[in-house]
Amino acid sequence: MKRNSIVITIVLFILATFAWAGWANWEYRKQAAEKALAATAQAELVPDTNGGMPQYVSPLKGKPAPTFTLEDLGGNKVSLASYKGKAVLINFWATWCGPCKIETPWLVELRSQYAAKGFEILGVSTDDLDRDDKQKLSDEKKDIARSAQQLKISYPVLIDGATLSTPYGGLDEMPTSFFVDRNGTVVAAQLGLTSKADIEANIKKALGE
Amino acid sequence: MNGMRRQVGMAFSWLAVASIFASAQSDLPARSILKGAAVEYLFPEQVTVPAGKASDITLHFRIAPGLHINSHTPKDEFLIPTTFSIPEDAGVRLSKATYPAGEEFVLPLDPNTKLSVYTAEFTIQAQIVATVGNHLVEARLRYQACDKNACMPPKAIPVAIDVIGK
Repeated sequence: MKRNSIVITIVLFILATFAWAGWANWEYRKQAAEKALAATAQAELVPDTNGGMPQYVSPLKGKPAPTFTLEDLGGNKVSLASYKGKAVLINFWATWCGPCKIETPWLVELRSQYAAKGFEILGVSTDDLDRDDKQKLSDEKKDIARSAQQLKISYPVLIDGATLSTPYGGLDEMPTSFFVDRNGTVVAAQLGLTSKADIEANIKKALGE
Repeated sequence: MNGMRRQVGMAFSWLAVASIFASAQSDLPARSILKGAAVEYLFPEQVTVPAGKASDITLHFRIAPGLHINSHTPKDEFLIPTTFSIPEDAGVRLSKATYPAGEEFVLPLDPNTKLSVYTAEFTIQAQIVATVGNHLVEARLRYQACDKNACMPPKAIPVAIDVIGK
């Protein structure tokens, strides 16, 4: 009888150890997953209370736009900080993005309409760049330039935008736009193709109108 | 004595159940991160082919509802085609891949631009040549997915096939 009790106690102890290990493992993985998601500052789609399309809510709204310095197509360094005092639309796009091609002509028109009020657009290409292969890199830059030319983009086009993925909330979909006011604060963000009217409303918000 | 054996047996059964429960629980957070994949490889997981001879296999894929991917022959030079590849030194060589024709698709805001895409389920006919032996091939499908309003960056998913060359 005494031997039975000892065996049962040992088995119960092993069972409890396994159950604890399973729980601890699950908790660890859950926390790691939550940390990974938080690190990329994922944006959310929030249902419209009026029954319309879900609205894009960026965690950057109301916060200073993450600073960056990227190269333009001419190889010049362009920094967001140099646009302080202007309202800026940071438009992430890519040559392979069909909806971007619909949106870009609207941006070109809106830029010429509001430039005099202190508005600028930075078109940030998220196309992959092969930094290890000079020839490929040169071809990739040429492709971006050719695409920008076909789309008649009149504002600065910056490259290597994928490097801004983490500070700008993942950049999981193109186009993605951030509207920055004259103080450098993100006042609105748009995910995917919306409408020219929506973009214009957000430009006015960035201009403080 | 028999009673003790029965008790020990039951205890180990519970132990096995607890282990399975623990391992199933540990998968939960990882799955929630992966749920956004646009394309999923369906089957076959294993094929047996005559060694050294070109053999056709049909690979089945599924695209998430509401999304499309470019066909192998998109109509715009900047769009990224869907391509299937097998790495070198896999013991299996891809001698030819035959892709389905894309279906015509237009974005609601640009009805004049016709795209060539795949939606729902599609298949690729791959002609492979395997050496003798069992080869765990980690092939790749590269694609670029969009919905009506936005596009995701290009991605490559693994296509795992156990190829047995006899």
